[in-house]
Amino acid sequence: MAPKKSRPIKTRNGIPLTRDEYRQLKKQKEREDRRRRQEAWEAARGPMDLPFLLLAMMLLAVGLIMLLSASFPSAQSSANLKNDALYYFKRQTAFAGLGVFVMWWVSKINYERFRGLARLALAGSIFLLILVIIPGPNKYGRLLALGENGAARWLGFPGTSFTFQPSEVAKLGLIVYFAESISQKREKMKSFKEGFLPHIILLVVMTVLTLIEPHFSGALLILGIGAAMMVVGGIHWGWVAAGSGALGLMGYLLYFTEIIDKFFHAINYNATRLQVWRDPFGGDLAFRRDDAWQTIQSLYAIGSGGLLGVGLGKSRQKFGYLPEAQNDYIFAIVLEELGLVGGTLIMVLFALLIIRGYWLAIHARDRFGSLLIVGVTTQIALQSFLNIAVVTNFMPSTGISLPFFSSGGTALLIQLVEVGIVLSVSRQIPAPKAR
Amino acid sequence: MNRKPVQPSAAAKQKKKIANSARLAKLIIQRRTLVLLLVFGVATFLALFARAYDLTIRQHDQLQDGASSQQMSSTVISASRGAILDRNGVTLAVSASADTVFIDPNVIDKYANELDKKRAQKMVDGLKEGEKLPMSGQEYKDMLAIRLAEILSVDQEKIYENMERTNWRYAVIAKRVEKEVSDQVRSFINDNDTGAALQGVHLEADSKRYYPRSSLASHVIGFLDPDNHGAYGLEALYEDTLEGSSGLSVTAKEAGGSEIMFQYEQYYDAEEGHTIQTTIDSTIQYYLERGIADMVSQFGAKNGACGIVMDVKDAAILAIHSTPDYDLNAPREIYTEKLKSQLSAADEENPPEEGKEHSQAYWDLMGDLQNLQWRNKAVNDGYEPGSTFKTLTLAMALEEGVTGRNSSYYCGGSVTIENENIKCSNKNGHGSQTLKEAVGHSCNPAFIRMGLDVGRSRFYDYLEDFGLLTPTGVDLQGEGASVFASRKQFESHDIDLACYSFGQNFIVTPIQLIAAQSACINGGYLYQPYVVAKELDENGNVVRQHDSTPIRQVVSEETSAMVRECLEYVVTDGGGKNGQVTGYRVGGKTGTADKRGTKTAANPRGDVVVSFLAFAPADDPQIIMLLAMDTPARQEVTGVYTSGGNYVAPTASKILSDILPYLGIPAQYDEETLSAAEGTVPYVVGMSKDEAAAKLESYGFSAYRTVGDGETVTDQTPVGGAIVPTGAEVILYMGAEKSDQLCTVPNLVGLSADEANRALVNAGLILKATGASGSGVKVISQSMESGAEVTAGSVVTVQMGQMTNIDEGAGIG
Repeated sequence: MAPKKSRPIKTRNGIPLTRDEYRQLKKQKEREDRRRRQEAWEAARGPMDLPFLLLAMMLLAVGLIMLLSASFPSAQSSANLKNDALYYFKRQTAFAGLGVFVMWWVSKINYERFRGLARLALAGSIFLLILVIIPGPNKYGRLLALGENGAARWLGFPGTSFTFQPSEVAKLGLIVYFAESISQKREKMKSFKEGFLPHIILLVVMTVLTLIEPHFSGALLILGIGAAMMVVGGIHWGWVAAGSGALGLMGYLLYFTEIIDKFFHAINYNATRLQVWRDPFGGDLAFRRDDAWQTIQSLYAIGSGGLLGVGLGKSRQKFGYLPEAQNDYIFAIVLEELGLVGGTLIMVLFALLIIRGYWLAIHARDRFGSLLIVGVTTQIALQSFLNIAVVTNFMPSTGISLPFFSSGGTALLIQLVEVGIVLSVSRQIPAPKAR
Repeated sequence: MNRKPVQPSAAAKQKKKIANSARLAKLIIQRRTLVLLLVFGVATFLALFARAYDLTIRQHDQLQDGASSQQMSSTVISASRGAILDRNGVTLAVSASADTVFIDPNVIDKYANELDKKRAQKMVDGLKEGEKLPMSGQEYKDMLAIRLAEILSVDQEKIYENMERTNWRYAVIAKRVEKEVSDQVRSFINDNDTGAALQGVHLEADSKRYYPRSSLASHVIGFLDPDNHGAYGLEALYEDTLEGSSGLSVTAKEAGGSEIMFQYEQYYDAEEGHTIQTTIDSTIQYYLERGIADMVSQFGAKNGACGIVMDVKDAAILAIHSTPDYDLNAPREIYTEKLKSQLSAADEENPPEEGKEHSQAYWDLMGDLQNLQWRNKAVNDGYEPGSTFKTLTLAMALEEGVTGRNSSYYCGGSVTIENENIKCSNKNGHGSQTLKEAVGHSCNPAFIRMGLDVGRSRFYDYLEDFGLLTPTGVDLQGEGASVFASRKQFESHDIDLACYSFGQNFIVTPIQLIAAQSACINGGYLYQPYVVAKELDENGNVVRQHDSTPIRQVVSEETSAMVRECLEYVVTDGGGKNGQVTGYRVGGKTGTADKRGTKTAANPRGDVVVSFLAFAPADDPQIIMLLAMDTPARQEVTGVYTSGGNYVAPTASKILSDILPYLGIPAQYDEETLSAAEGTVPYVVGMSKDEAAAKLESYGFSAYRTVGDGETVTDQTPVGGAIVPTGAEVILYMGAEKSDQLCTVPNLVGLSADEANRALVNAGLILKATGASGSGVKVISQSMESGAEVTAGSVVTVQMGQMTNIDEGAGIG
């Protein structure tokens, strides 16, 4: 029996160890621990994945430039922001700087340590999600939640102007917990009772909590990320097929029938956005001016871009026409200013980042690492796809921000933390064996 | 110890199982991640690319239009309208900038409310030391109404009315006000009792058209509609050229409406309108208009008169006029006194309804009279030309060789063609006559003979060749059409041919006729008449030049020479003697045409159109002129036999005597007319009588007389340097005081040239005779009215002429 396998005991064959023996054993154990730590350290000291880092940094840089371009007209004309044209840019740059630092720090951490944080992260996420929906006396009818555009989705640090969305945190918590949990289940994921059920229950709980805020897009992302991780984790193909089928049916019903509209009406949810999606230019003047305004303006911006765009900084739609030009609709300004060519280049950057991410997931040292990356990459993939799809009216509008581009400090910070996690995992990818 | 055959222990089994499971789990993760990679890394982006391509490329135009229409605000930069010049560059029409003053009632109302609020607030807050209570909204409105009404001379009521339309954004208060007025509005906007720039009062750059020569060439130039687009005449016909194209300043605006930035500005230059230079000579036009006006007032032409002066060599129109005319600066107002009185009569006959300024009949008549005064008879209307058309018949006959210098014609007073008896002007007949004499007599039977000799078919060919069957295509508005029998009808009998030969039974426009007549005398070439010679850009560069447009040669040079000779004979010895111009060889043809369908019981002879064709110099024609007067008063009223020779030729002579020297065509005097030649009186004061006489002689002045008995000339009349006919008598004062008494102009009409000269010399004045000469020629008009008081030595011009009783026109039966 290898001594290292024995537990620290004070007896041997019932005979108590001598002090020397004990010390010897202890020393041996300490050496062992040190060696292990050393190994882990060595593993975590491998080179981080340069392509992924570069792609992320390129997107961040381009994102900042486009944010500057898209945000200055609204910042300049906003008395609240003291007409500071650079307000959004300065804020976002500060968060980006902080984020890159945190990313670097996170990437240095051996990701295996996150296993231990998994339960805490999940509990914290759910706690925050509940915190934000506790009813209360403030003007949003909540105890603590802060609102923006009529939806109370934010929590603030007391005494500061920093706010964050619990759903953003919840995404990260979900990713870490699911990665840990699914990696432990191994092939048991295939079973309904042990693999599918616990995860889906958790996922539904978090989704529903997010929906209550209400934060439809956040719920959609949580559901999407969780589902993707479960699929990758190895749930039965049947569930995958069923899920895909449901998604397809949903799309069909949405586009070709009005069943969903009726459902929305039934639950008193505004369904005009579906009408807008189907035909933004239809309807009467009031419809085009109020309900479809944002979509129409976005399409105007994109259409104006043409092949090469009107030129960097030269968007006209950002001057008060396109609401949220610096935020969810920033990609419309990108297409207007840089045209199909510039927009496609940025989409290619996103695609390469995502492909590289999944590639890293495939090559990660262990399942936990793989699943972490899958979660993070899927989040970036879903957000970028859904955002661009909404901006181009490919999908009904819902408030999903574009990673690295949209204004939003905490969201950017969390995205960079996630990039840091991916980089951390990438450090432990074993080098290809020399042949 | 003996080891048992190697059997994996349970623990090892378990370990292996876990390792296997882990490997499997990892494999699943890897495989499924690959699927995600393909879905999220490739498929979704392909879909997004397709969508982006669809929007940016395929729907580009449509979406960009939508975007532009909301983003762009454009301001029209109006092009300044080109000027219209005469052939020497004299401005006939020009645009100057003006401003339209308008208010924004909506803004005014809002601002007034704001003022009221401020005032109320101040009243609540209380005033600081020396602070004034702000103006109330009503006070603001009152100030606008009072001051604007004052500056723009409009009704205050009108301004109040417009201010009440508070949902309007644009209400014009005064259109196209001149700069000095608009400057007053500007200073009012910036400097007023509110202490700030006025809200809701605006100026809009506009332009105003000016016609410096008011009514001169009004029918050619035309005028603009209220929107500054050509409505009539060259202004309308050359609208595209004159107007230029307005430019556009496109700026991007924010959703709020303010302009974004200079970098979005796009500026499309206004293309200034081009100036057109006409062939009109404003001096000749003036002479023509003055001559026609005198003629019309003298003979009371009921339907006015018209005249064309044309360059013989290329059919460029030098002057064209028609009466009644109008003032280009106020084209809608009735211009001539005669029409004005008609208009006011309409109101007297039909009293206007209560509260209205004029009756409906007044407005109806107003429209008719406007159309009448805008009408250019020389181009728009046709007429039966009568004898001036014989020029063409003569040319045809000569060209066909059916007549010649030695042909002779017998006139028995009338001729019967196909049972129709056609009378000659001389009821007793002209007897036997040569060709020249026949033309001089304007003998109908002779011309009928010539027409018949030419033959129906050839005659009709000539009508075609002379361009009479189709409009000339002159660049004037609304050219009328001629009316002729169809060839088939014409060739079926002789009566039409007979009547056509002396210019009756068909209708041509004066412009058609003069173009054809010009071809008869200029060597046979028919040209297309035109009035626009050049198109100049804003820098004066010639953009387009109109060259003469020869159409065809109708008759030969020899024929043309013979026509000239015959027509000169008409003026020297025939019925057109009144067309003579002293010092010039003039060719001409008179015309007195019956107007069809005007014979009634009350008017047994019917109405006539009298006309005169003249060209000069007869041996080398430069200009040709056609004058026609519609329905002049008859002999019973005027005391002169109604004929083109009596009514129109003197005017033609007068006009030519102005035009020909103006054109620099040298006058040539023979012994008989030498005294009419002009010379400069030399300065002879201080000389002895003999020296002075010699000096005067050397300057062409042979007649002088002395007053007083001094040794040297102390004064002279006319003064040195004066230009007077050399026949004038110079008075030399030899020490005697020159009388500074005014001289009274005697009545000269009806006197012979000698008698007139004597009368003027007695009165201390100088005679200048123009027009006809020879026996029987009398003064028919004088430039200064009898009884007028003028300074001694003034020149009185008299028109000489001979009133004959020859009626060269004749109708059928």
